Amino acid sequence: MTAAPLTDELVLETLRQVIDPELGLNIVDLGLVYRYACAAGKLTVTMTLTTPGCPMHDSIAEGVKNILLTLDGVAEVEVEVVWDPPWHPSMMTETGRAMAGVRSF
Amino acid sequence: MQASAVRVPLCFVLTGVLSLLVSGGALLAQPDLLAMYHYTPHLIAITHLFVLGFICSIVMGAMYQLVPVTLETQIYSERLVKFQFAAHVIGFVGIVWAFWNFNMAMVGAFGSLLTLGVGLFVFNLACTLAKVKRWNTIKFGITSALLWLSATVAAGLFVTASKFWNFFAFQPLAAMHAHAHLGVVGVFVLMIVTVSYKLVPMFTLSELQSERRAWCSVALINIGLVGIFITVLFQEPFKPLFALVTISGFLLYGWEMVAILRARNRSALDWGMKYFLTAIGLLLPLSILALALTWSGLAVNALTMQLESVYGLLGLLGLVGLAILGMLYKIVPFLVWFHSYSRHIGRAKVPALADMYSVPLQIAGYWIFLMGLSGLSLATAWSHAAGIRWGGGLLALSLAIFVLNMGKILAHYIRPQVEPFSKKSNSATKTL
Repeated sequence: MTAAPLTDELVLETLRQVIDPELGLNIVDLGLVYRYACAAGKLTVTMTLTTPGCPMHDSIAEGVKNILLTLDGVAEVEVEVVWDPPWHPSMMTETGRAMAGVRSF
Repeated sequence: MQASAVRVPLCFVLTGVLSLLVSGGALLAQPDLLAMYHYTPHLIAITHLFVLGFICSIVMGAMYQLVPVTLETQIYSERLVKFQFAAHVIGFVGIVWAFWNFNMAMVGAFGSLLTLGVGLFVFNLACTLAKVKRWNTIKFGITSALLWLSATVAAGLFVTASKFWNFFAFQPLAAMHAHAHLGVVGVFVLMIVTVSYKLVPMFTLSELQSERRAWCSVALINIGLVGIFITVLFQEPFKPLFALVTISGFLLYGWEMVAILRARNRSALDWGMKYFLTAIGLLLPLSILALALTWSGLAVNALTMQLESVYGLLGLLGLVGLAILGMLYKIVPFLVWFHSYSRHIGRAKVPALADMYSVPLQIAGYWIFLMGLSGLSLATAWSHAAGIRWGGGLLALSLAIFVLNMGKILAHYIRPQVEPFSKKSNSATKTL
């Protein structure tokens, strides 16, 4: 099988399978994923969580690693959790806001 | 967070729920206890089972989970938590048994063991707090509550010892009421106030609106409580003045909560939050009742004596009890979820916290609880035994519903419900 290049759609669709269990919503529509970059089979994801000290910190970061490692062509995943800029509901997608009952901005 | 860190808080929570069932059952078996004045061995025993077994166990288990979240740090020693759990359970079960038989020597003996447990709890949390360099409202509030907890236990032991050895003649009712205010207002209410400054914004997607207002509310509650304890214990005439200081702290707290809720981004409040917010709404009738009961011109008759029991019921069962039930709908699903699903995240489809219990049952439990609490309070005020039985029955039904929902959550602990990801996502992965 020939590996296709990683597309934004594929990475985001894959990350949508990781949920924040408290809000019951995936991390992409929550706006937790800030950016990602791929070089030589290594995918680096920069993301945040809804609140500092979130007890789900390790689980969600590990979940991101697990799911991205299922992608062909990804040999290594590094997840960097940052607090700047702090997460705010305005970072959610329209779909996410509708699903979580968050008012539109 | 480790798996063992989940198991011990869960043990505290289960002990609490079991104590709630036993204390509720004991009260239901003897409803006449609430129809008479509250200074009886059996009612004191049941109250201690409710307070130490239910409220304290839950609060301690919850603090081990919530303090790291609210202060963004780790618990100082997880090993100490296990020792504390053993001392706590043996201590409170022994105290309840000793009060039931009104054996003050054994109250003192088991009270000493409970004090050891409380000492370990306070030490562990104090060391955890010390890791946080910056003083904020939450650190201030939790530190205050820990000091009040130490003072409550010390006061309880002192009263017991003075009664046994007759070395200091307190007026027994005044000592009991002063001890109760230290525990309920200083420990439970202050912890509810403090953690809600972090949890209500977190669960409603809002922010603390005024750090100064929050800090002042905690300070006023503390200042007022010092005065309340002294004036109640020594039966001084300044009780209403200090009650007003504490109530002004509650008013600032209410003001901040309204501001946080108005600024929230999540329009729909879940039912766990509704339980919690309804509970803190009870601070209003409780404050009015407290002012009325401290008024020196209040006539002493059967109704006003029973109003003291209503005050205790609304405070313990209404405010603290309902707030705890609301928070348990947040804490228990999280603990179980963490144990059963955290390792599966990103590997398989896992449920959200709200999928682990029945929301319709939660709603039914909420309304039945409020009907039961209203009925029980009115019936207690009028010493109406049949009404107490009906009100107690409704509360018992509400608790049964709560236990059923907790059982649904715990089923995920025993048998996790993990599903493979949908085919759509698998094919997406394979097209790469």
